[in-house]
Amino acid sequence: MVETTQLNVRRRQRRPGAWLHVRRRHVGSWAFALNRLAGLGLVLYLILHLFVLSLLAKGPATWNDFVALAKSPLILPLDIILLAGILYHGLNGIRVALIGVGIGVRQHKALFWTLMLIAAVLLLLGTWGFITV
Amino acid sequence: MNTKRTGSWAGTLWILQALSGLLLILLLGTHMIVNHFVVEGGLRTYEDVVSYLSNPIVVVWEILFLIVVTFHAALGVRSILFDLGPKKTARTVINWGITVLGLLAVGYGVWLTFQIIG
Repeated sequence: MVETTQLNVRRRQRRPGAWLHVRRRHVGSWAFALNRLAGLGLVLYLILHLFVLSLLAKGPATWNDFVALAKSPLILPLDIILLAGILYHGLNGIRVALIGVGIGVRQHKALFWTLMLIAAVLLLLGTWGFITV
Repeated sequence: MNTKRTGSWAGTLWILQALSGLLLILLLGTHMIVNHFVVEGGLRTYEDVVSYLSNPIVVVWEILFLIVVTFHAALGVRSILFDLGPKKTARTVINWGITVLGLLAVGYGVWLTFQIIG
């Protein structure tokens, strides 16, 4: 039974896009899939960010209008999602880099949850910053 | 790391992705704090952007951030696309595609920076 399951997992992992099929897999697989999804989101955000900055080339009026628009409370949830994506990808990335060079391989789960705790704290601090700054 | 699919480059690219990622913690961390957390309302007005960029260290730091983030993003997209199992021609297209798009992004960012300064 166990062997069959492992074989199926191995077969599944060989298929393109297998990394996205995380059901019934361990926390490492979830972490990896979420890392990629967050990464993809951040690439899309980077492109959007670079386009938005082009408004600076159109002069003070255009840029300052955008700044006024971006300070709308409707943007706050988007800022929080962005910060969550950055914190998850960055802090999980530390774990990926450490394990890749052979550090903390045995403690990878504890490492993951410790980093996620840091991410949660920083997300709360950041959200507080978005509201008060 | 799939050495069979990507050849001897895979290990080198993995290390570069990890190193650029660690560098980004510093670069994106400072970018976020300096541009979006210590500035009133989280965004600079046009006049404040110009005065911020009048410091050459800031210009170097932000352009370094742009280069490293673009490199990291391009390599990340490449990993995802290569995991779909593309054939040799498609892999060549992907490699050139991300290189050209990456260079365009950096070129555009540098141009924009000097538009604002100048």
